[in-house]
Amino acid sequence: MIEVKNITKIFNLGNVQVTALSDVSISAETGEFLAIAGPSGSGKTTLLNLIGCIDKANKGYIEIDGQDVSQMSSNQLADIRANKLSFIFQTFNLIPVLSAYENVEYPLLMLEKDPEKRREKIFKALHSVGLDTHIKHRPNELSGGQRQRVAIARALVTDPKIILADEPTANLDIKTGEKILDIMKQINEEKKTLFVFSTHDPKVMQMASRIIHIRDGQIAKYSHFDRRFGLEDEKYPGNERRAESDPREQI
Amino acid sequence: MKLPITVKLALRNVFRNRIRSLITLAAIAFGGVSIIVAGGFFEDTFLQMREGVIHSHLGHIQIYKKGYNDHGSSAPFDYLIEEPGEIVDKITSLNHVKLVTPRISFSGMISTGDNTVAVFCQGIDPEGELILNKIETVKNAETGLVIQAGANLAKGDRFDVILGRGLAKNLGAKPGDSLVLLTNTVGGSLNAFDMNVKGIFFTTSKAFDDRALRLPIDMAQKLLRTEGIQTLVVLLDRTENTLAVKTKVIKTIEGMELEIKIWNQLADFYTKTVELYGRQFFVLKLIITIIVVLSIFNTINMAIWERTREIGTIMAMGYKKKDILKLFLTEGLILGLLGGITGIVLGIGLAWGISLFGIPMPPPPGATIGWTAFIRVVPDLLVSSMMISVAASLLSSFYPAFKASNLNITDALRHY
Repeated sequence: MIEVKNITKIFNLGNVQVTALSDVSISAETGEFLAIAGPSGSGKTTLLNLIGCIDKANKGYIEIDGQDVSQMSSNQLADIRANKLSFIFQTFNLIPVLSAYENVEYPLLMLEKDPEKRREKIFKALHSVGLDTHIKHRPNELSGGQRQRVAIARALVTDPKIILADEPTANLDIKTGEKILDIMKQINEEKKTLFVFSTHDPKVMQMASRIIHIRDGQIAKYSHFDRRFGLEDEKYPGNERRAESDPREQI
Repeated sequence: MKLPITVKLALRNVFRNRIRSLITLAAIAFGGVSIIVAGGFFEDTFLQMREGVIHSHLGHIQIYKKGYNDHGSSAPFDYLIEEPGEIVDKITSLNHVKLVTPRISFSGMISTGDNTVAVFCQGIDPEGELILNKIETVKNAETGLVIQAGANLAKGDRFDVILGRGLAKNLGAKPGDSLVLLTNTVGGSLNAFDMNVKGIFFTTSKAFDDRALRLPIDMAQKLLRTEGIQTLVVLLDRTENTLAVKTKVIKTIEGMELEIKIWNQLADFYTKTVELYGRQFFVLKLIITIIVVLSIFNTINMAIWERTREIGTIMAMGYKKKDILKLFLTEGLILGLLGGITGIVLGIGLAWGISLFGIPMPPPPGATIGWTAFIRVVPDLLVSSMMISVAASLLSSFYPAFKASNLNITDALRHY
């Protein structure tokens, strides 16, 4: 579903060049609930942005659902985003002038022209995040948890193959965050939607089917959570080699 | 009613920051009001001036013997219309024609005994001129020729004259005085009548009032020893019909050795004034447009700064640059439409309020009396006020909208 090969992303900050990602390759398949873990500044968000087609890599190749997106124009990328991807943001990013219902409707307007079908889909999405009331409320009349539910419904409503979530629970209290993750997990299991989310919360990582650890713009290791043994490292061909060399020397 | 999402979003965004939008709307509306009130003032001034010159002595159309306009000033009696009856009948029967009245003009000398002055004499038909002088199309204006003292000429008057205000002052003449009017006859000999001053008049034209004497046309013909007349003055029901009737008059007099002029060819002062004021009004419109452009530019620019993350989010959903451009242009358009409508409503209200009382104005250059200006709101003004509001709004939102649509999505999402 997602194929990332040898991508490098360099940011120009004035006269300084900062390498956010260096020669990173990952792949992810339908139905995965994939966590990208790492401290802040490690490159998690940059990787999500590249997969989400809202940023372009300096080097490398990204394939989304069999399509090479690395050479696409901004309009083609917008189409990919509209049809195959959805985002859930740490800060929810709802449109403040639209009601919960209208926020969910907004991305669907591009894809579903039949108002009756659209209505059906919106109610289904809102129902699946447990938001059957408050749908006429504007974001500032909703709690953080409710806002994130609306944001998930908005991500869900276009029936995307991939949902990308950048620290989706970081702005929520622990209990609410867990509920939000449960909802995401449930959707993942029911619809086999591929979730890729970034986090640095060990509790969140426990829910993931697989965890990719990033450090200083490179993949440090793969692991998964085992109930008995906790996080267990997986075999990754690059693990040994990368551990030996300081990644910053390659910049 | 289901609005398209762009319009719905734009509308709600416009009202998101109420104070700011209200100030912007006020700026646009103020521009609209200025255009309507200033334009309406000019419209009224033009109209009063126009009807003033037409009804004081020009009429709408004047008919002369062919050649009169080119050579008449040196030999006025060479261009007399000897048998005007048939022409008068034909022109009078045309649609929109209210009146055809004859005139004969000549220069002469008048003497009170103490004073002798050269004058411009007009032999007129008192009944016809009375109709001509009456202004029915303009509110608060009644006549193009005002009798200041004494009485106007009337049917059956014989050795009576009325004098222009400046001329009377110059001579020291007052109603009841008698004077001698001396002139050359058509044949070239001298002729003089004893005349009685019946009244003193003034019109919108000071130059005319300073030199003019009017007498009944039959007396003028006697004095000049002719049967002919010089000019046929045609009055129409409405000034707007001038061009239409002009064509018909030209057709009617075909082959009759006649020529015509219409009022605006004769009203040089009016034409130049309109041109001058027109330029001034254009500059005013330009200034207003710039003010509106700047104020909307500021509003939309600030809105984009505040909503950067929202724009990033919308684009992350898969909306394209053109959608963002459309959204912000729609906001500009809504501001322009709302401001334009408000401006029109307030403008009409203010124009009505001012017109209740009128603005007392000093005499315009070349005139002797002040007048009361009103605000005349014509459809053209409303259209141009609305167009300026909308065009300025769209123009000023274009750059901010373009900037918003070219935001880098990841930067926009990071914006707080």
